[in-house]
Parts: sequence; C-alpha cells; structure tokens
Amino acid sequence: MSFVKRYLIPRLIQYILVTFLGLTAVFLFPRFLPVSPIEQQLAQYQTFGVYVSPEQQEEMIQTLKQLYGLEGTLWEQFVVFWKRLFKGDFGPSLSRYPTPVTKVIGMSLPWTIGLLSVTTILSWIIAVLAGGIVGYYRKRWMEAFDIFVMIIRPIPYYVMALILLILLAYVFPIFPLSGGVGIARGLTFSWQTILSILKHAILPAFTLLIVGISWQFQSMKLIVQSVRTEDHVWYSRTAGVDDRKVVFNHVIRNAMLPMITQLGLQFGSIFSGTLITEMVFAYPGVGWILYDAVMKADYNLIMGIMCISVIAVTTSIFLLDLIYPFLDPRVRYR
Amino acid sequence: MKRLVFFLVMLLFLSFSIGFSQTLPPGIPRNETLILPFLFAPLPVPGNWNQWAGWRAQNCGLHQFATEALWTLNPNVEEGGIINALAAEPPIYNEDFTKLTIKLRKGIYWSDGVEFTADDVVYTILTVRDTEGLDYHGPMQIVKNAYTVDRYTAVVELNKPNSRFHTYLMERWGALRPMPKHIFEKVDDVLAYDFNPPVSIGPYVLKDCDPGGYWVLWEKRKDWQRTVTGKLFGEPKPKYVLFINYGTAEKNTMAMLRHDLDALQGTAEQLITLLRMSKTTRSYRKNWPYIDPRDISTRGPGFNHLVYPYNNKDVRWALALSIDIVELAVSTYDGMVAMTPGLPLVVNKTFYEWYFKPLEPWLEELTLDLGNGETFKPWDSRAPWRLLEWAKKNYKVNIDPNNEEEVRLALGYGWWKYAPDVAEKLLKKNGFTKKNGKWYLPNGKPWTITILRGPDPTDMANIVILGVAEQWKKFGINVVFNVSAASSTLALNGKFEVLNTAHGGFAGEPWGLHPDLYRCFNALKSDFVKPIGEATLGWGGRWSDPKMDEIISQLEVTRWEDEKGIIELGLEGLKLEIENMIAIPVFNCPITIVFDEYYWANWPSPDNDYARSDNYTTWPQLKYILHKIQPAGRK
Repeated sequence: MSFVKRYLIPRLIQYILVTFLGLTAVFLFPRFLPVSPIEQQLAQYQTFGVYVSPEQQEEMIQTLKQLYGLEGTLWEQFVVFWKRLFKGDFGPSLSRYPTPVTKVIGMSLPWTIGLLSVTTILSWIIAVLAGGIVGYYRKRWMEAFDIFVMIIRPIPYYVMALILLILLAYVFPIFPLSGGVGIARGLTFSWQTILSILKHAILPAFTLLIVGISWQFQSMKLIVQSVRTEDHVWYSRTAGVDDRKVVFNHVIRNAMLPMITQLGLQFGSIFSGTLITEMVFAYPGVGWILYDAVMKADYNLIMGIMCISVIAVTTSIFLLDLIYPFLDPRVRYR
Repeated sequence: MKRLVFFLVMLLFLSFSIGFSQTLPPGIPRNETLILPFLFAPLPVPGNWNQWAGWRAQNCGLHQFATEALWTLNPNVEEGGIINALAAEPPIYNEDFTKLTIKLRKGIYWSDGVEFTADDVVYTILTVRDTEGLDYHGPMQIVKNAYTVDRYTAVVELNKPNSRFHTYLMERWGALRPMPKHIFEKVDDVLAYDFNPPVSIGPYVLKDCDPGGYWVLWEKRKDWQRTVTGKLFGEPKPKYVLFINYGTAEKNTMAMLRHDLDALQGTAEQLITLLRMSKTTRSYRKNWPYIDPRDISTRGPGFNHLVYPYNNKDVRWALALSIDIVELAVSTYDGMVAMTPGLPLVVNKTFYEWYFKPLEPWLEELTLDLGNGETFKPWDSRAPWRLLEWAKKNYKVNIDPNNEEEVRLALGYGWWKYAPDVAEKLLKKNGFTKKNGKWYLPNGKPWTITILRGPDPTDMANIVILGVAEQWKKFGINVVFNVSAASSTLALNGKFEVLNTAHGGFAGEPWGLHPDLYRCFNALKSDFVKPIGEATLGWGGRWSDPKMDEIISQLEVTRWEDEKGIIELGLEGLKLEIENMIAIPVFNCPITIVFDEYYWANWPSPDNDYARSDNYTTWPQLKYILHKIQPAGRK
C-alpha cells in the first residue's frame, strides 16, 4: 500500500500533468509559427504559375479558413482540440485536405516503427554488451575497436549514409538506391514482398545501427569503467567469483540502469521519425511528413504527430518508473 | 576454415543481393520503360488521385497522363501557340464576354471505355463552383450557369464580363481539367473521394505506386488511339513510364549513372558531373551552354516598394547597374543562362519576335537622369556576346557570334551595363555616401540590405540571389539574408526589403507561347496594394502605377485572339516596368537537363527541336512528345 501511495500515485499524477502540458504546448507552438497554412496554399498556386485573380483569392481565403477550422478564438480552438483528442481524431490535414490526419500518419508510421524499433533495440543490445565488455577488459583488439568507434562517431550522419550508399548501392550495386519496397510489387503478404521490404530497409537500418551503437557504446563503456572500480566488484573478484559472472551479473547489470532510461526515451522518440534517413534513402516515414507539415503550417498534422510523440515519451518514462523498482532494489527499498 | 566459410557466405549474400538492386522487377522490361524524375515527390497521400481536391504532386504522371485540358501550350516552342486538346476549336466568346461556347473533340474516351462529352465539362464546372474546398472553386464563382447544347458543345454563362475565363481551363502547368462525370456523380463527397484507381483520359493508366510516394508507374493504354495524343500525335513509344525520385541530388545523379534514370533536371554541377562521368549522357545542346534556356519564367531580386530606400527608383537602378551580369552568370551557372531585362520577358523565339524586337530600339534610347544635367543610356545590347567571349576561353562553343538571333536566343536578349560609377552617381544624387569602400544611408547609418529567401540552396532563385548579393557586397553594400521557411507568407505580408524570386514571385508568369500578359500585369493593380503586415492579394512588391491600371483595364476588353492589340498593350506594360526597374530580373530560368541515351534516344536538341526539354521532367504536355523518342536498341 505504501508503494502505491508513496511511489505509484505521485508518478501517475506527474505523468498526467506532464502529458497535459506537453499536449498544450503542441497545440500552441504551431500557432506561433510565422507561416500561415492558407497563405502557404496560395503560395503553392503561385509556385507553379497557376494564376488566380486577387478577387477570387479573397474568396478562397474565407472558404479555407472555414474548412480548416481556423475560425474562432484560440480558446475555442483549444477546446475543440481536446474534444477531438479524446476521440483520437486530429481533424483533417490542412496541406492534404480533406484527408484525416490519422490516415496520413497511419500510412507512414508502420514504416518508421518497423525501421526504428528494430534498430533501436539492436543497437542498444549490441552497444550495452560491447561497451560492457570493452569497458571491463582491456585487450588490444578492444582498444582498437574503441578507437574505430571514436573515429566513426563524429562523422556527420548524412556523410556516412552517403558514403555507404555510394559503396553499396553504386560502386557495388548490392542494395537498392531508395524506397521502402520494390517497384510494382504491391504491398501484398508474400515472401517476395517481405524480402523486398527487408532488402530496402537494410541500408538505412545499417546506418542507424552504426550511429546508435557508436554513441551508446561509448556511454556504456564509460559507465562500466566507473563501476568496475567499485568495492563490490573488487570484493567479488578477490572472492574468486568467475570473471564472466562478475562482468554480467555485477558490472553490466549495474551499469545498464542509466542505459535503460536512455532506451525508454529513445522509444518515445521513435514516433517522430528520422528525417535525414528518410530523405537520404527516400524511405517512407513520419519524419518527412512532420517536416512537410511544419513547412506548410499544417497545424493539425503537426499536432497529430507531436501528440503521439509526447504521449509515447511520457508513457515510456512512466513505465520505466514502474519497472525501475524491479530492476534496482535500491529504488524498491527507498 | 572460418575465413573460407565467411567468404562463401558473403559471396552468396552478394549474388543473392544483386538481383534485388535492380530498379524494375521482372515483367517490366527496362528497354520498354521510360524512367523520368518525379521532381515534387513524395506523393502527399499515396493512393489519392483526386487532383481536383488539392495538391497531389500532380507531376507524378497524374497531370501528364490521367487528365487532359481543353486547351494547352504547344510543347514545340519553335512553333509556339496554344493547341486545341479536348476542345475542337479555340474558345468562342459572345460580344460582351459573358458567354463562352466550347466545342469539343469527338471520339475521345476515358480509359474505362466511356466517351468524353460536353456533360463532363458542364459537370466539372458546376461541381467545382458548388463544392467548397475543390481547386478552382474561387475562380468558378463567376459562373452563372453551364449547360450542354449537344453531345459535343458546352456553354458557360458568366455573372460578369471576363475575356480570360477560358484560361482557367487552359493548361500551362495546371488548369481546371474535366472530371469523368460517370465516376464522380456516383460519389457522395467529391472532396473526400480518393479516385483510386484513377480513370485516365490520357494515353497511360496507373499501374502501381510506392506506398511511400516516391515512385508511380504508368502503363500505355491499349486504346491509346482514342485519346488526344493518339488523334494528334501518334503512338507513344514507351510501354511503361516510371516517375521516380531517388532522394537527394547525389542519389539521382548515381541513378542516372546506373542507367536507372533517363532524364534529370537539377543544378549546373549535376549537369557538368553527369556529362563528364557518363558516355551515354547528353544535354539539350552538345556543347556549352548545354542547357535549354527556354523556360517560361524569369528569376532575380524583387523589392518592397513600401520600404525605404527601395521605394526610390534611382536606388533600384543603382542596384541594377552595380551587377556585372556576365560575372553573375559565370558565378552562378557557369554562364549557362539566358539574360533578360523584363519581368515577363521570357527568352524564346515567340517572345523574341513579339516583344524583344519591337522593344529593342526603345531599350537603346532609354536614358537615366544622373543629376547635374548628366544622363546615361544603360542598355547593353552586347552583354550576351561578352558572355560568349568568356565561354570561348573555357569551353568548346559552337554558337555563331555573327548570328544575332542565335546568340540572343541562347544567351539572352541583353542586359544593363556594368556601371558602378553611374550607380555611385545615382546614389550620391539621393544623399547616400561612400566611406572606406562602404555605403552609408543619407541618415549616416551603414546601408545593409536584408534579403528574404527560402531554405533550399538548390533552388534556382536562391542560387541567383547569392550571386547578386556578392555583386552588391563588391559594390560596398552590406548584405544579410533572412532565410525562412515562411518566406511565402512573409512576402505576401510585405515583411521584407528585398526578396529572391521563386516561380511567380514577381507576379503571374506569362503564357510564354501566347503574347497575353494580362496574368502578369493584373497582380500589379493598385487596388491590391496593402500596407505592410497585411497580406496582399496582388504582388508582394506592392508597386503600382495609374498607367499600369489603364493597361490592365484595356487588356480586359481585348480579345484573346487579337494578338496585335495584346502585344501593343504588353509592350506598354513592359516599358513601364523596365523604366521603373520595379524588380531586377536577371535570367530566364535555365533548364539544366541531362538525358541518358543508354535505353532511349532522339531526345530534343537544337537540331531536332520538337519540344522544350523540361516537358520530359515535369510539364503536362509530356504525352504529346512520347511518340518522338526511340528505343536505343539495348535489352
């Protein structure tokens, strides 16, 4: 009972409060952008040389205001926003009117989740294990590996992705240059389609893995180097406990606690996509949709994506808070 | 042993992979497929083809193949003019421009076998008029009624006279194109309908599209003869056409080098790289300046005429005369551009005859007042020849310097003299001072020009404005940029001093192949000038002149087919714009295009000039030229 009262309830309140504030910010911020969705729409006409007379533009502006739901005070729009949110409805996308925001996100999100969940988990596992081992042991090849990671890490992602593309899609044309699935394959449930999707995902995934592993590896290595000098590790070693047991049960297990927090936060950010990867590889995903929505002041779409992201991040943190006592007895006994 | 196993696994992996690196799957032969760039990818909503309900990235093939306008620009810029597409005749207006009669071509069928008739035209106009949110809903409010006279004749009655109503139904890059009535009339919500799969009236039908929206594949209709293309031009050669965007510029370059892209429109650097790295690539011209210069829009800085000192004509002229046009051309596009002194004065054969030739004597005599009784004639008719001289030192060039028309149509009409000394006099006349090589405003503060531009560094307007900024810095003016994704909104609200110009940034772009400049001038009407902070419905630059208002009024009552009358008024408007230097147009938008001859041949060139080159990349008239290209014979 005291666990619920002293631990669970405060965190639940915190979770609800942070989520509310986050979602309110998501509602407000797009409205402070200097871009107007209606003027962007008109500018798009101009961009392609479509001529609409000024009188008719006036009429269009009024109609679009009405259709986009941009009439009324900020407060009235805020109330509508919350009403819609509870129904899971973000309204129509303004730049893709009248397609519902949920449909636009629904078309892109599976690609993003598919790519990022796999690379996030894989890079975390590899980084934790490799960082733990390299941080604990000091063998020559491990130091070489460490130096290699130090060289890789500062390379801008775009440059690295491009180098890999040139190597593996142009010089040695092993992988496709772009896209999420092969041409004229359709998204049917077949072995060929699955293979095609995997094939297209390998290169973007590989670049994300390299980046993810390199920075998490270094974090983990540094934490392990600190943990390995702690008393309980010395005690275990002098007591003759097997070195592997010391590494995995006493060092890595202790060192991975902050890494679990990192993993939780990373999971939350999956839902806002990875813009550069999507642009470099012409890979479908939420990142480009969000970028495009910001450029075109598509308030509803920005809110849709950001709401999912805010809820995902706060929920991840809340769940981590709940899991922590099971992973770390010190939290449980506090 | 371990190494051997590793090697074998890798070999297996590689051989397994190579098949999948190919762009096209089995069943879609590469030598029967034309692969073109999808410039405005990705599709906003993959699987939604209802282009009447908003932006669908139409140049994915949708406006090239699935739809057709009543009238359209001739893709052959040497012939020029407007051609009748779905319409059988040019627009027919009554005396006071309140009634438009449209005669339709017979024997045109939608891809589902239903005949195209006047019912489709009438249904489209009335549906768009009555459905809020559809594109062209605003313009169609002028329609009082529309009805059919017979199966192939439609009549549109207007609420008030409008001699240019038909231009909404005329293809430039966008038009209100007829909807298939038999499909849309069964739909409850026209706006929300996804029109998937689309029924085509053009020669190709949709085969497949990327769920991410980066490619769209089209297949030739078996009954292609029953389309406008089939009736006017002949059988399109490719069985399939794939529009694809590989992502960044580097990747599209790689794709062409892999022969996975047959045409590419990009930057000057891309063009040069591709011509150097591949034996099968070529551009419009075999030698420098390589590009096709005949786009129908111009680029260059524009001013906010409500902001000091840009509301001063002398200042605007001084800024123009401080630009060395040859240096600017070289620094931005390696000289591969055609210069132009007028906003809608695009560089092509028709505008050369209609506008430049009659304007040239006036340009020669144009005189600026420098103060103290001193005058200056700014026109530099020989600027294209100066550019040619530079090119000869750096490239192999086969432009005959003695052929005036050839030089002007390749490198531009001419420009303003590079005269920093004259610019200095104009500024000093207005109280500006120069100390230690830097310019100061009359109030003694340093002069800094803030230029508003968008974030895309590969945008032609941005490339040009960066070059212009360097010229002004060299002249002693400090220049800073306001780079903003909100540049369109800021421009409409007048929150800028100087802006780069994207498409239509000055005002409406001209038809290019018809002399009417009404759409360019109308945005300059004084009624539309709004204070800073209030969005204008006209030109963001907020310039107006009673004389221009008069020209606009006269154009409104001049018939579309009265080319002589239109040209006379157009010339008056051009003189007014130029004399006031309302903006500084510098170049025609260069079409930096590269073709790959590996799978397909007979692309346009000066010797085989059947179309403007960018019809292969983004323009709707693509369908009319696909009978021209030929398979190169490779399997």
